[in-house]
Amino acid sequence: MLYIKCPYCGMRSQNEFAYGGDASVKRPELNKDVTDKEWDDFVYNRKSLRGKHIELWHHVSGCRQWFKAQRDTATHEIFKTATMNEEI
Amino acid sequence: MSQEFRIKEKGYINRNKTINFKFNGKNYTGYEGDTLASALLANGVHLVGRSFKYHRPRGFFAAGVDEPNAKLQVELNGHSEPNVNATEIELVEGISATSQNCWPSVEFDIGAINNLLNKFFPAGFYYKTFMWPKSFWYKIYEPFIRKAAGLGVASIEKDRERYEHKFEYCDLLVTGSGPAGLASAYAAAKSGAKVILAEDKHRFGGSLLMDDVSIDNLSGKDWTDKIVSELKEMPNVTVKNRSQVFGYYDHNMLVMFERTGDHREKKSEFTPRQRLWYIRCKEVILSTGSIERPIVFGNNDTPGVMLSSGAKEYMKVYGVLVGRKPIIFTNNDSAYETAIEFKNNGVEPLILDTRKEQNSDLINEAKNKGIKIKFNHAVIKANGYKKVKSAIIGELSDDKTEYKNTNNVECDCICVSGFWTPSVHLASQSGNKLKFDKEIDSFIPDKSKQNEITVGAANGDFTLKNTLNAGFKAGNEVSKKINNKDVAIQVPNVTEKNHKVHDKFWCSPLPKNLKAKRFVDFQNDVSVTDIEIALREGYRSIEHVKRYTTLGMATDQGRTSNLNGLQLVSNIENKIVPEVGHTTFRPPFTPVTIGTIVGREVGKHFMPTRLTPIHEWHVKNNAVFVDAGAWKRPRYYKIGNETMLDAANREAKNVRDKVGICDVTTLGKIDVKGPDAAEFLNRVYTNAWMKLPVGKARYGVMLREDGMVMDDGTTTRIAENHYHMTTTTAQAANVLSHLEYYLQIIWPELNVNVVSTTEQWAGAALAGPKSRDVLAKLFPNSNVSNETLPFMGYMEANLFGIPARIFRISFSGELAYEINVRSDYGMFMWEKIMEIGKEYGIQPYGTEALSTLRIEMGHVAGPELDGRTIPYDVSLEGMVSKKKDFIGKRSLTKLAFNQQDRQKIVGLIPLDRKTSIPEGSHLVLDKNAKLPNPKLGHVSSSCWSVENNNPFSLAIIKDGKNMIGKKLFAVSPLKNKSIEVEVISSHYVDHEGKRVRS
Amino acid sequence: MQKYSVFSLIKNAFSDHMNWEVAWKDPTPKKEYDVIIIGGGGHGLATAYYLAKEHNITNVAIIEKGWIGGGNVGRNTTIIRSNFMYDANGRFNEFGMELWRNLSQELNFNVMFSPRGIINLAHSDAQMNAYARRGNSMRLNGIDAVLLGREEVKKHIPMADFSDDVRFPIFGGLMQPSAGTARHDAVAWGYARQADSMGVDIIQHCEVEGFNITNGKITGVRTSKGEINAKKVGLCVAGSTNILAEKLNMTLPIETHCLQACVSEPVKPLLDGVVTFGAGHFYISQSDKGEMVMGGDLDGYNSYAQRGNLPTIQHVLTGGLALFPFLSRLKMLRTWGGIMDMSMDGSPIIDKTHIDGLYLNCGWCYGGFKSTPVSGWTFAHTIAQDRPHELNSELSLNRFSTGYLLDEKGIGTKTWIG
Repeated sequence: MLYIKCPYCGMRSQNEFAYGGDASVKRPELNKDVTDKEWDDFVYNRKSLRGKHIELWHHVSGCRQWFKAQRDTATHEIFKTATMNEEI
Repeated sequence: MSQEFRIKEKGYINRNKTINFKFNGKNYTGYEGDTLASALLANGVHLVGRSFKYHRPRGFFAAGVDEPNAKLQVELNGHSEPNVNATEIELVEGISATSQNCWPSVEFDIGAINNLLNKFFPAGFYYKTFMWPKSFWYKIYEPFIRKAAGLGVASIEKDRERYEHKFEYCDLLVTGSGPAGLASAYAAAKSGAKVILAEDKHRFGGSLLMDDVSIDNLSGKDWTDKIVSELKEMPNVTVKNRSQVFGYYDHNMLVMFERTGDHREKKSEFTPRQRLWYIRCKEVILSTGSIERPIVFGNNDTPGVMLSSGAKEYMKVYGVLVGRKPIIFTNNDSAYETAIEFKNNGVEPLILDTRKEQNSDLINEAKNKGIKIKFNHAVIKANGYKKVKSAIIGELSDDKTEYKNTNNVECDCICVSGFWTPSVHLASQSGNKLKFDKEIDSFIPDKSKQNEITVGAANGDFTLKNTLNAGFKAGNEVSKKINNKDVAIQVPNVTEKNHKVHDKFWCSPLPKNLKAKRFVDFQNDVSVTDIEIALREGYRSIEHVKRYTTLGMATDQGRTSNLNGLQLVSNIENKIVPEVGHTTFRPPFTPVTIGTIVGREVGKHFMPTRLTPIHEWHVKNNAVFVDAGAWKRPRYYKIGNETMLDAANREAKNVRDKVGICDVTTLGKIDVKGPDAAEFLNRVYTNAWMKLPVGKARYGVMLREDGMVMDDGTTTRIAENHYHMTTTTAQAANVLSHLEYYLQIIWPELNVNVVSTTEQWAGAALAGPKSRDVLAKLFPNSNVSNETLPFMGYMEANLFGIPARIFRISFSGELAYEINVRSDYGMFMWEKIMEIGKEYGIQPYGTEALSTLRIEMGHVAGPELDGRTIPYDVSLEGMVSKKKDFIGKRSLTKLAFNQQDRQKIVGLIPLDRKTSIPEGSHLVLDKNAKLPNPKLGHVSSSCWSVENNNPFSLAIIKDGKNMIGKKLFAVSPLKNKSIEVEVISSHYVDHEGKRVRS
Repeated sequence: MQKYSVFSLIKNAFSDHMNWEVAWKDPTPKKEYDVIIIGGGGHGLATAYYLAKEHNITNVAIIEKGWIGGGNVGRNTTIIRSNFMYDANGRFNEFGMELWRNLSQELNFNVMFSPRGIINLAHSDAQMNAYARRGNSMRLNGIDAVLLGREEVKKHIPMADFSDDVRFPIFGGLMQPSAGTARHDAVAWGYARQADSMGVDIIQHCEVEGFNITNGKITGVRTSKGEINAKKVGLCVAGSTNILAEKLNMTLPIETHCLQACVSEPVKPLLDGVVTFGAGHFYISQSDKGEMVMGGDLDGYNSYAQRGNLPTIQHVLTGGLALFPFLSRLKMLRTWGGIMDMSMDGSPIIDKTHIDGLYLNCGWCYGGFKSTPVSGWTFAHTIAQDRPHELNSELSLNRFSTGYLLDEKGIGTKTWIG
């Protein structure tokens, strides 16, 4: 069970959190024309690499805040977590 | 004579307490403190089971977790459990054990015919045969193989015992209470660190219980007792015996199971049988010790052959002699202690040492005691079938590949020692890449991956002095890290005997004229020949060898076989062992009872049950419940002998004709608040929200980004910046996370907050032409007329002194209202409504009637919104704004979503107006077409239309509304049904929607 | 090639098994091949075999970074089925079932395909209806399916919990009687042995480091054993697809996740077929060795670690115990993890790519093993003919752009939700 630092609550066990996928994927802005490719890159296509991965977690059984984590997908080492408006 | 192999006054068992037990139907006695294995050995029982493949007789080989053979079917406390390790289970009154995998008995086992034919069953033989004729595999070969499968028998009785879970945090977890573990725990504890010390056996001390050493002039056992009692006194230390740490997971989470029940004679129903500990620790010290490895020789699986350390443990800890004429076969000094112990107990051992003549403290002591030692000798082959009777021994040639001479020596046991293998399982599980230590021919931990340190024998340190030093040092380092304290601990004085270097001899060569199986893996019957065949056939990677031969895949997971297997591959492939590599160590370290892993979430507690505040009323009124996620909802209220359909039709008809009431508390409710709430809803829902006035509700549909409908519901503007959103019961949690995702991640600039209020409100839907009459009486002080509370209107009102919310919304298509009060008043509200509604003929209705009502109206729900439909598919195009952007809108432009023949919702009625169309039927043009028969779509929901008194269904079919008027077949081959149907509109009742506005 | 049979077994027994030939050789790579298959797992080995057998293309190399069969073909729960709702998935896998039925004889290697059936249990009427939809679709596609009521389920699995002390009672289930299991390693080894005998080079411990592409056409691969030229290259590396895609500058509709499985200690036969629990993530079968083979849910976050976490195992076994209380007293013997290509609609991709001569076989999610033969068969066709076979034409890469998705579960793109 991972041990994750919620930027708001501190260290908590993984069973308090829900995973939210790749945090580097940016949603196209509303009301903006986007190409099919840009849209599919947002909805479907993922790099999902081995190694450092910046991803979203949601403290669902806690403060209910979404935040970012930088984790190694091969070792599960979590290097850093940050609130959504912080750089990681 | 009972317990004839018990030594007088030796061991740590309690001789004042005799324990009765059964083995294979025969009565035996042992003592408190025995294991099943030690008690059987005390009675001279060696033959305990049969091997998996060849059904060869097998006896006890070890004294702990490393035991490969002695897996018994054990009956205890009214439960029968397979594959119980006899060397681990503690003896308690009433245990009854039987041998497994043998028929009719362990003494005479028909299956042993396999042993005679073993030549034809080499590694992988089953891949090469049983293929002809083809059908024989299914019909004959495989059923026969399956019959032979398995060891013990799983009882299908429900487990009445209890298992618990515990979550613990600590500074330091020490796994194993041998010298290394005791020293580290002690050093860290002295500095005030929060320490857990875990020992898998019931006695602390590990090797200290067996080895002939002294620490500060105390025996190993006495020193252990002293340290353990000191540790137990410390408030910052938890000392646990019978507790096996079996998994080392990410982020320093370790898992342990504690045996809390089976050894107790008296227990309450609340005494757990086992307890699972999730331990999150800052630091871990792995002091898991080492396991003796065998030397491979001919018929080395014969009962009576066992590890030298096992024999010593049986003597020292349990006061049991494993034989009276032992051969000690060793390549190192440690087995000399076993020989000396035999001698001390009046037994004359013969030592065969593969090394040239040596001198060391131990060897000299043995010599001085007059023990017969043959250096440069090996056991070539054991003789005897169900028990060792003699051994062919030989004097080794200079290169140790053959023998100068051989002879037969009588014996009744062979105690074998091929040196020691550190237990690196947990270190490896932690992510530690192991390294090969040439000095000890074993893998030891390399650089730490997590916060773990391995000390003592587990780290390849086999002297007590080094082990204690390393333990104290590690404990001290950990405390420095944790508490910044440097508590110097006086390392005790140690006397121990020095050892000479061991010999790398691991397998006795077999002279040409001798035929015998040499087993590497006992339980799975993997012999030297099997591994040779695998390599000959090109299965050269160690993983291929393992999988092809099943080496190390038995229930002991190769504890005594893995390294010898590697050694053999290394010899044949001419590679050094580290190049061969090792197979992966995975949790669990020892098999763990599944009940323990699951804990208390069994039976009805598999998942929490959510009940509405009105639940008791439903129960009292004969509700039959249905599971809706975790909720229990009334499905229908049974009157007399009604069937479900009768009841549902009655309830639905009552809504259409009079008035009904439905508990809708389970709907998800979310408060959406903030100055940007309207803008937010406008982005979340497909329709427009900017102009919804305060006091009005609106139906909304939300999509996933891939364009599929995610959920629907009504949202009401309670106040300027306050909206009350409802979701379906099923999607409540997902919708909240979804909203939070967009607010916190995508549009943080929006000033909006959302919070679930599902639990805060109890809800009742009041539906039917008489509902306004009931409402008016419920709220005499409020004006609930069509003018002041029109369709999609909202008002706050007072229900006999209780604040209530009234929403004029409808799922049934009738004039309807939804009333919400604080949950605590839910029952009050419900009973009031029933009381007042009585004169109008009110009846409660459940989810079945609810479905009927919505299906007739063509309202979509779960079966239509199955995550594969876009709004256009389910007649919700009117809900999709062309003007504004919203979540998922861009996806709606996809090619497939805009095809003329895309499957869309319609209504269906059977041509005979009688036959109900089963849900899940598919629509086809020709019911007799050859397969594959092209499908036009499927039936998603069906009901008996109470309005039209005939069956009606919703279906999603190609070309949708363009098919109206067409006649098709709804076929359900599963139910052998084929029904001719006509396609009609999905709105079967009140197309114009007049009733909801009436 | 030596023929395996009971006679060869007896013959070899009398020569002390000294005369068995290697099942496959260990060649050094040639300079150039007509086709290189990257990935020596089940699908890659099968592809090479069918290239040789069906298309007479034998100048083929399989490049494997570790040992063959070490990926998901050796780490799955061995379930074989074609119980799909969508025509594309159903027909594809039913073709595969036919290949399975003859595989032991065809490969002269007993893969122990054993059609003892699969039952998907339902715990509500809604679920029964969803299964009816799927089962009827199967039947209309000519695939066997039976809808079982509670009592019929009881006949098949009397040891399941039919008492009142259950949270989600069994309503019934959907059964595919012809589904079953096979011995997973044997499938890899059987294909390897035959492919090798037809001239395919199986090159183990050879890692692909990059691709050579000229003018939009693939010309070869760069590996840890040097450059190897090829006219065509097929990617068959489920679990590592994203890693190789990056080297090709491609982003795919795939995430990489860890799925765990576990086995109990072996016990005497008790459970005949495969059973899946409908109220939680759990499926189970009993192997020919007697072990209960169990699996369920993803760990829930992107992962390349072939090791999982205990909470997922606990979650899965909790479902198991809810269904089969007898599991309580069995012991869990081994757990392991496999790395999955989770495609965004839950169905696989077998297709050409925008690079000439480069072909893609990926996105198998939890279910790659059952499709091993048909995947190899259709992928070989796609490579040999430079166009998909009708069977895999809908398993296209561009379906995510066009919207012709094959979402059997309807859960959308959140692949980490099992």
